Amino acid sequence: MTHPTKRIARAELDRLFALLSEDARVVHGPTVRDGAIVDAPLASVSELPIGWTDQQAPGRYRLTRRDDAAVFGFVVGPSSPKPLFFPPEETLYRAERRADGKVGFVPVVPSPAPKALLGVRACDVAAMRIQDRVFRDREHREPRYAARRDDTIVVGVHCLAPGPLCFCASMGAGPRVGEGADLALAERLDAGGHIFLVEALTARGQALLSRLEGSEASDEELRWRDEALASAERSMGRTLDTAELPGRLYAALDHPRWEEIASRCLACGSCTSVCPSCFCSGSDDPSDLEGAHTSHTRHWESCFTSAHGELHGHTTRPRTSERYRQWATHKFGAWVSQMGQSGCVGCGRCIAWCPSGIDLVAEVRAIADGVSPVTMPVAREVTAPREESLVPRAATVLARTVESSDVVTLSLRMEPDGRRDFAPGQFHQLSLPGVGEAPISISGDDGAGVEHTIRAVGKLTEALCALRVGAQLGVRGPYGRGWPMDELAGGPVVVVAGGIGLAPLREALRRMLADPERYPDVRLFYGARTPEDLLYGRELLGWIDRPGFDLHVTVDRAGPTWRGHVGVVTRLLRPATVPASARAILCGPEVMMRFTVDALAKLGLPHTRQWVTMERHMKCATGTCGRCQYGPHFVCKDGPVFRFDEVSMLFGRHGL
Amino acid sequence: MGSEAHAPPARPRLGVFKLASCDGCQLTLIGCEDELLALSEKVDIAHFPEASSRTDVHGRFDVALVEGSVSAEWQREELLSIRERSKLLVTIGACATSGGVQALRNGKDVSEFVRAVYASPAYISTLDRSTPVSAHVSVDYELRGCPIDKHQLLEVLTALLVGRRPAIRDESVCMECKRRGNVCVLVAHGEPCLGPVVHAGCGALCPRFARGCYGCFGPKESPATAALAARLKELGVPAADLARRFRSISGGAPAFADEAAKQELEHD
Repeated sequence: MTHPTKRIARAELDRLFALLSEDARVVHGPTVRDGAIVDAPLASVSELPIGWTDQQAPGRYRLTRRDDAAVFGFVVGPSSPKPLFFPPEETLYRAERRADGKVGFVPVVPSPAPKALLGVRACDVAAMRIQDRVFRDREHREPRYAARRDDTIVVGVHCLAPGPLCFCASMGAGPRVGEGADLALAERLDAGGHIFLVEALTARGQALLSRLEGSEASDEELRWRDEALASAERSMGRTLDTAELPGRLYAALDHPRWEEIASRCLACGSCTSVCPSCFCSGSDDPSDLEGAHTSHTRHWESCFTSAHGELHGHTTRPRTSERYRQWATHKFGAWVSQMGQSGCVGCGRCIAWCPSGIDLVAEVRAIADGVSPVTMPVAREVTAPREESLVPRAATVLARTVESSDVVTLSLRMEPDGRRDFAPGQFHQLSLPGVGEAPISISGDDGAGVEHTIRAVGKLTEALCALRVGAQLGVRGPYGRGWPMDELAGGPVVVVAGGIGLAPLREALRRMLADPERYPDVRLFYGARTPEDLLYGRELLGWIDRPGFDLHVTVDRAGPTWRGHVGVVTRLLRPATVPASARAILCGPEVMMRFTVDALAKLGLPHTRQWVTMERHMKCATGTCGRCQYGPHFVCKDGPVFRFDEVSMLFGRHGL
Repeated sequence: MGSEAHAPPARPRLGVFKLASCDGCQLTLIGCEDELLALSEKVDIAHFPEASSRTDVHGRFDVALVEGSVSAEWQREELLSIRERSKLLVTIGACATSGGVQALRNGKDVSEFVRAVYASPAYISTLDRSTPVSAHVSVDYELRGCPIDKHQLLEVLTALLVGRRPAIRDESVCMECKRRGNVCVLVAHGEPCLGPVVHAGCGALCPRFARGCYGCFGPKESPATAALAARLKELGVPAADLARRFRSISGGAPAFADEAAKQELEHD
């Protein structure tokens, strides 16, 4: 498609700059600082890196003088547009917890001056579109990102002389500036003079173009530009075959190269920080000394930190090899399943700015070339993004039931409307200002409030369990994919629970028992550590006489008064107790589910008739912090309930 | 309102102690200024000889902040007593956490140093090793740095008061450096920088001023010291120099001590 294109003189850039600055718009662009070309707010064209270029190699960047006055005669520096829209550190909301136990939450949404970005490379335009998908356009519309990103004018620059680390052509992101920019410049500096071809890609770009002094670009000039772009595409410093790359990488999870890379990788997080598309984040709740006033803050995190894999006080990816694998398989593999496109735009920053000089392209080729791909999940269709403020609402404790020595059930009234909408198996994010936030599965609807069964294992869960009737806390959600209630209807249903794993199953059980027509045959197999740890004892006893319900209970160890089974829950699963036609839903420790899945498979239940709940630290619960990734899945929104065949490739594997 | 009926709950008692150290970390607490006033309303600063003539040498404490390493026998005895009298013990700074710069003497002939340095060596009573607090008693929380960072100190105290986990990130200095938008001094200037293996907390202070990190916060979680040493050698840093870099302020931390020893072996 041909876009309207004008030829303007070099001096006309000043007018373009002035047009971009209209309406108090802040113009950001490249400039020289501290020995590199970085992005910064600019006051005039003279601050652009005129006559400068960069020399790049793995782990090495040097700024050098050109022998001409090219304005955009360099590739990309360490900074991308990312921090303009997704700041390295920001406050999402403020919260207070008053002396009377009431809580309040106030969202923090910026209202920044509109921006114009001048001189954005094709790779970075593509990266902005990827971040748009993560934060604004695909499933969620995060209001802070949107406030910074909406109404941004983007003036791209075609890359006519790619650097030795560039591979945007392989990633389909460049060198031609594509969708996402309003204008695209091509800089021409030769015997004929110093001019720019300015191409309008949007109506807004067209409006700007019409106000620039210049002539319509000639056929020769357009041909020159297209040939220069074609030549740039052929002269990329790196190339990567991306055909079926996700499946090839996931087929190579055990490749010895991951471990070899770990001998060079510093696990410092520089690569993910300079990456223009990496979006993973952590969050903290700094407070005043009373813990009464707190700010919920979000910061750039990296899959190279221990915190990113944190789960119940340990990390799921202790080894550097596992962290590097997480990064590479996410960037080139999981991303496609999550967002429908690769996370890499081929800018080469992670190669240049790796202090150790690790070449991601070379590593991925060494690992994935020639590997037969496995089948990857396909990204879900999404129609319209939902507003997602990430701010909790208040909820009030209606009832508090002590279930065992360290487990409490809280029934919560959601303020202000008392809504109780959720699907069995979904979870809420419960928070206490000053203490923190944690995902807690919903354990039921008691007719007045939404129940949450919480085990006191850390500071936050201890504080939640200690809440009294009338006290308030914060709630977000419900989130996640619950149990497949429709698919369970009709035939026998086997429910296997371990320990507190009964909590997310309870509401599913209640609904099935309340509807014997749809669920004529329900069998619960429940294992706990000791008889004292068995949850919902009275409720379970109330169920046992119901027709079409079977209860099998076992404990790991018991005192002399226990008359029931002792041993692991899988010992209860026998041909006599599990019909081969059953569907099974499982929740418990990963090791318990692993053995249970195998036992049920032997009894004739294929993986496609078994559902498990996965556990990773669901921190944002909206698929934007990256913490709960499990291979190509976000546990928070693709799960926590998975049909087993969706995760069987990953299940039981270390370091994911 | 009958407010007199509600006596305020007893404030937690805080003690600040010093072993072999320069007092700089205690100064960080004094340097909290505005926050210090608020803090003193929330906690009873019962023992803080650096700041107040009011001391309680033998009292019991909810939180003890301990600065300095164990370099002399009396310090070991005092430390055991502090631990015995304190519910929570938090080490503050590189000396208390990894032995400090005085751990440079570890493995050397200390009596020779004493003879060379002091006019009357007979007055000097010292152990031949400087050891961290954790080598002698259990430690509930360690704060890194030379000196510690004011914000991290306040975060730990606040978290202990409120009853939450302190938000102290065990990531690299690179993460802070990148969040601040600094240009990497190692990549752009070939400047030897320990940032990739060093625990965050300083706000990437040195790289902000175009200097390489010299590691005062000690090793981060999973420090890839061998990989960094190999890279710095490619940049032209000799083994002896590398050993000195790892041996400096946090040289007593095992990860740095081991890498320094490897480099010294290579140099010899």
